[in-house]
Amino acid sequence: MRLDFVRVFVDSTSLLFKEFFGPEIEVSSISMKANPIPGREVLSIIGIAGEAQGRVIFDMDASTAIKLAEHMMGEPTNGLTPLVRSSIAELSSMAIGRAISTINDNGTRLRMSPPTVITGVNLLSYDQCFETLVAPITTAYGEVGVSITLQDLD
Amino acid sequence: MQAHVEGTGGGKASLTCLIVDDSAFMRFHLRRLMDAFDNVVFSEAANGNEAIREYGRVRPDIVLMDIVMPGLEGVETVKRICDADPSARVIMISSVSYKEKVEEALAAGARSFIPKPVTTEQLRKAIEQVLA
Repeated sequence: MRLDFVRVFVDSTSLLFKEFFGPEIEVSSISMKANPIPGREVLSIIGIAGEAQGRVIFDMDASTAIKLAEHMMGEPTNGLTPLVRSSIAELSSMAIGRAISTINDNGTRLRMSPPTVITGVNLLSYDQCFETLVAPITTAYGEVGVSITLQDLD
Repeated sequence: MQAHVEGTGGGKASLTCLIVDDSAFMRFHLRRLMDAFDNVVFSEAANGNEAIREYGRVRPDIVLMDIVMPGLEGVETVKRICDADPSARVIMISSVSYKEKVEEALAAGARSFIPKPVTTEQLRKAIEQVLA
């Protein structure tokens, strides 16, 4: 696991959240979790490929997803609409896109997939081969978990 | 997704704009930001192949183009549009903004590059620059 890359993903996400949602963002300590990783009701998944491979998952309650999306859209919404799901996908994509850019500018070639958003109840994510690090990020609208699994191919 | 055309203001169109992004939120958001301009006629596409078709149909004044999209991604789409129409005015808008990728986009024919999240002011400056 490349801890320096994990730090970039977490820092990029918390910085973006501050820009969007204000300074009241707290990043709890990063911890290692055993598989499967329990998720909440909304997951946004982004694949990472290149000189390292893995994935980043953002997970949150539906109510948090709706409030974050309403803030981004600047208007109220009615439940987990397609536009809410798209807002959460874009939020995660912007965070990881920035991190990927920082990492690439420092000489490691990484690329990302478009995000996939999954909604449901008691969602679990499995990564049998890799370690997963989880960083809980607290926003004014609830907690967003950022689970990072990244294997260096060198 | 079906690309579509829709205008603002109800008056004579002064600017035609093709928004290319797989994110419905970003298409919504960019249209909101474009409210700062009068009488814009929008068309939209959710991936590169749709964008090429829509560009040929509408021949917009400007194109706002994402990079990371399923299927044909943004830089290759810009290259194909600009190969067919060297006068195309494309502004890349992407969170993937490392130096090499920006250079690749500009070499493909993009006239400007804005990292996400984009602001109204950044968009205004870029549009004025490419229309000048």
